[in-house]
Amino acid sequence: MGFGGWFGKMLRVNLSTGVITEKKIEEKVLSDWIGGRGLGAWTIAGEVPADCDPLGEENKLVFATGPLTGAGVPGAGRFCTSAKSPLTGTILDTDAGGRWGVRLKKSGYDILIIEGASSEPVYLTISEGKASLHEAAKLWGAGVYETNDRLKDILGHDTSVACIGPAGENLVKFASMINDGHYTGRGGLGAVMGAKKLKAVTTQGSRKVEIANKEKLDFMLYEAGKWLKANPITSQGLPEFGTPVLVSLFNELGVFPTRNFQGSQYPGVANISGETIAELMTTGRKSCYGCPVQCARLLKTKTGTILGPEYESIWALGPECGIGDLDTIVEANHLCNQLGLDAVSTGVTIGCAMELAEKGIFNTGLSFGDTTGLLQAIKQIAYREGSGNLLAEGSRRLAERCGSGQYAMQVKGLELTAYDPRGLQGMGLGLATSNQGGCRLPAYMAGPETLGVPKMVDRFSTRGKAGLTINQQNISAAVDSLIACGFVNLAVSEEYFARILSAVTGVDYQTQDLHRTGERIWNLERLYNLRAGFDRSCDTLPPRLLEEPIQEGPSSGKVVELKPMLEEYYRFRGWNESGVPAPEKLRELRLEDFKC
Amino acid sequence: MLKEFQTFGRDLFLAGLNSSHSGNLSVRCGDRVVITRRGAMLGHLMERDIIETGLHKNDGNIVLASTEIRVHRAIYKETAALAIVHAHPVHAIALSLLEEEIIPLDSEGAYLLHKIPVLSAEHTIGSQELEEKLPGLLKEYKIVMVRGHGSFATGQLLEEAYQWTSSLENICRIIHITRTLKGALKDKRPAEYKEW
Repeated sequence: MGFGGWFGKMLRVNLSTGVITEKKIEEKVLSDWIGGRGLGAWTIAGEVPADCDPLGEENKLVFATGPLTGAGVPGAGRFCTSAKSPLTGTILDTDAGGRWGVRLKKSGYDILIIEGASSEPVYLTISEGKASLHEAAKLWGAGVYETNDRLKDILGHDTSVACIGPAGENLVKFASMINDGHYTGRGGLGAVMGAKKLKAVTTQGSRKVEIANKEKLDFMLYEAGKWLKANPITSQGLPEFGTPVLVSLFNELGVFPTRNFQGSQYPGVANISGETIAELMTTGRKSCYGCPVQCARLLKTKTGTILGPEYESIWALGPECGIGDLDTIVEANHLCNQLGLDAVSTGVTIGCAMELAEKGIFNTGLSFGDTTGLLQAIKQIAYREGSGNLLAEGSRRLAERCGSGQYAMQVKGLELTAYDPRGLQGMGLGLATSNQGGCRLPAYMAGPETLGVPKMVDRFSTRGKAGLTINQQNISAAVDSLIACGFVNLAVSEEYFARILSAVTGVDYQTQDLHRTGERIWNLERLYNLRAGFDRSCDTLPPRLLEEPIQEGPSSGKVVELKPMLEEYYRFRGWNESGVPAPEKLRELRLEDFKC
Repeated sequence: MLKEFQTFGRDLFLAGLNSSHSGNLSVRCGDRVVITRRGAMLGHLMERDIIETGLHKNDGNIVLASTEIRVHRAIYKETAALAIVHAHPVHAIALSLLEEEIIPLDSEGAYLLHKIPVLSAEHTIGSQELEEKLPGLLKEYKIVMVRGHGSFATGQLLEEAYQWTSSLENICRIIHITRTLKGALKDKRPAEYKEW
């Protein structure tokens, strides 16, 4: 048995000077932080000043693979991008599937760090261990799909392209980056690329990822495969309907927000459900590298075959804006992808503008249910035209500039996702305490609160939610470092991941080691955010969710009872009343060097 | 919380996983532990049988807490467990007297637990020895048998820890029955779980 999974190499590209360097990564760093989100947090906390301008030269973009990337583990063909977010000002990571990460890894690198900023548009190619910068003036202004096609024509179709669209170039605060039809969506990392004048990064590679103990890995994959095949979420629901399978489920529970979280059930949900999409539009499935789940859908539309919207996008561009027309939602989602926008933040920001107009606070001409207005607003945001220039700053800045910050449905500046936490108390705590703001991924409490993973708990109760949320946050941080897909984690528990990781790397990891690594990552992110000025007052939710009960449906009468959960959460974490990790906790996690 | 303790306490007793006064349950709430009273009848738990005390510090309630409180605390401090079930399942105890580890023969048991380590200790009840040895095993396994004494299972919820306890006893009953039947096993796969 040897040392596998990692190449132990970092590629650093300075766009200000054009200098490209390679460096060895110490084994201790790899085994401590694993990869993906862990290595990203370690790099950002160590190298990016917490008070820097996210769109300035000091910010860095970290693309990190994990030891499982390219190792043939189902759902692990992923990479993670980290930076200081221009939308939130927090540390932020977002991971994506496709082939791009596998090709970066197979080119011989665990991690790519982009620093500085170019004066002219460029793109970066990485192929078989060689990296070079190229002039990109002719690509600047092109949409995502055109950029992808043109670069593949030049570099070959065994190349993966991660690129930004006009939104990233125009520094829209929630611009995304797209690769192989997958999105690095949240938090505006596309704008960080745009600020650096980096249009795209391409990867190509065929090196073999070494496996320390192939026999053990095969055994573990066989065992994990049994659960993937047996669990109806991963063997039937996601393969047949994709993530839109959740639309009907969450609507029925009364936690499917509508009209900027004014309602929690959408009457016309049957027209936009996963079942309807499968029946009327789906023509095929698409998967990430080596994943049997194949949750991405190909849809037939008037303009051709396109990637279908995910659960969150259907919601954000649909009921959140009072819209229930499926063709419009699919078109709006495609437009967001083409222009390089995070569909969730786009929809929620437009929903906020719709409510501000409805209340007579700020009239952008948008109103709930306005399908034409939605499509027009998306274009205006991407090009910062008219009122789109203000919307491009995100819902928090939009609402605050109108003196009505309470109407922005966000946490720490990041727009909330498609779950009304008033009917999911643990989800509320998870969102309020998330290091990156209103994203459900860092603690998918809908698992225990709605899907029975690992067991079904009372979704309206606050009791025991602090401990469950913390465990979810810690294990998610670890899984995001391997990097494995959260969907696979719904069927395959962390004890399998620990053994798979041990087999691939040759380093002995126990289940508890993943929890501890996740806890270290979570606390490091927390320290960074404290340095950036985020304190206890930021661990909260929009006033609507704390004060205005849901009006009807199965969750009616509920608000998020945050205070008692938050107090228990801090004690559980070993933080003081201000939310600062205690010195003994930092010693325990070997984080004493990272002061807040 | 009382209702939850009553549900699983009663089920443990009725399923024969505990005798009238044996076993204990606990959950972790931040820096507090809620545990059954020393000598409580798990099949008939009442409010007075549910004791809250500190995870790190003692308070007056410690005099009422289960004899195994120190073991529960040690497990909580070293693992991500939020609930613990300690039981005395008879078939599992019997098998633990003969085996170094318990490997399920049935598929349900193999899917869920793969392998259950057996820990040998000189002092098995509320001992410092268990406090030192058990958490290490529970970092890797969901449930551990203490030879001749009983099982310790962890979970995110009491229901989970109860499930592992119930599964363990089922596994051991199946092993017991197949050994009684004395035939040669047709399925060789269980041997692979020795490596789990």
